[in-house]
Amino acid sequence: MIPILGLAVGVVLGLLLDPSVPLWLQPYLPIAVVAALDAVFGGVRARFDGIFDAKVFVVSFVSNVVVAALVVFLGDQLGVGAQLSTAVVVVLGIRIFGNAAAIRRHLFRA
Amino acid sequence: MSAPPGRQRSLGASLLDQVLADTLDPAYAQAAAARAARDAARAGAPAGPRPPWSRRHRGQLLVALTLALAGLLGAVTYREAAAGAQGREQAREALRGDIAQEQDTNDELVAQLQELTREVTRTREDALARSVVGQRALERLAAAEQGAAVLPVSGPGLRITLGNAPPAADSDPVGGSDQLAEAGIVQDGDLQLAVNALWAAGAEAISINGQRVGTSTAIRQAGEAILVDFRPVASPYEVLAVGEPDDLARSFLASPEANTLGEYSLDYGVVFDFARADDLDLPAGTAAELRSARPLDPADAGTSTPTTPTDGG
Repeated sequence: MIPILGLAVGVVLGLLLDPSVPLWLQPYLPIAVVAALDAVFGGVRARFDGIFDAKVFVVSFVSNVVVAALVVFLGDQLGVGAQLSTAVVVVLGIRIFGNAAAIRRHLFRA
Repeated sequence: MSAPPGRQRSLGASLLDQVLADTLDPAYAQAAAARAARDAARAGAPAGPRPPWSRRHRGQLLVALTLALAGLLGAVTYREAAAGAQGREQAREALRGDIAQEQDTNDELVAQLQELTREVTRTREDALARSVVGQRALERLAAAEQGAAVLPVSGPGLRITLGNAPPAADSDPVGGSDQLAEAGIVQDGDLQLAVNALWAAGAEAISINGQRVGTSTAIRQAGEAILVDFRPVASPYEVLAVGEPDDLARSFLASPEANTLGEYSLDYGVVFDFARADDLDLPAGTAAELRSARPLDPADAGTSTPTTPTDGG
């Protein structure tokens, strides 16, 4: 219950405060969001599996976001930023789909 | 809990298989295994339930904080994307406004130029009409302006119509219709042929679709459009020529250019019509910009005063 409340608070805060993001950080926001989504879906699935661990979740969330942004940043520096961000999105997208399917199996037993 | 090492050992599994199979972070399973081992070790020595309670509480807060961060991240990204789209729309709107504004300014300046040109012409006529030499200069100027297509002209003449071939809807349903359509488009060279033939036939003034053709007027193609005096004109092109209609028609029809245009009409379906017209009104062309000027000779300057009218004869 508290975690869902935290999510709602975060969304409301982001929409209300409208914090200004430095320009150099803006290209990495979408990829960071996809990485965060992957971590969140992974956490939800782990909870349904009964093996959820707060520390693992927090660490995986932070590292996911940072590593995804870092990989794309590195790609930008090497001139393959678009391709690398595609790779990150594909891999994370597959994981998100897999975890969503596992959650669905838990919820609907199908 | 032997599954993760077993999976890691199977080197035959392709990378894609691994990506598809390992959707959950293996750290969860490892943490669960460690916790189970810890619980099993603690099971021997019964302890109070308070430490795990507070730990779970702290964990929940941590998770809530992380999720708040995730929500913040998502909301900010959404706002950025929305602002980006909005900014692009704003920039487009601003550019559109700029274009409209510049067009208005241009129209205004053209009107101002015409007004000033009229004023200059009027002042010049007033100044020149005061002396005989001036009057002669005025006559020469009028002839020059006539030749330079600066004055509007009306009179009898010839009306020639050139136009793109109409689409052959019935005769050529499939294949080759594109070819025909492309060949049937009037080019800038075709208009140049017609205009040159008319000049050669003795036309005094020519206009294309209301654009007067002067001595330095260019007829040229820019992409799909034909520009006359840098203004676009569209098919059908109506070429008006003022002159003695009979002579004009005879000379024009005898010219090889008219012959060529007639062949285009027969071969490619280009519209090519001509007719005599009794009363044509041709607009004035744009005034040629002043490119060279020369100071008046001192002798001429002396005679141009109204006190020496005897010099005018």
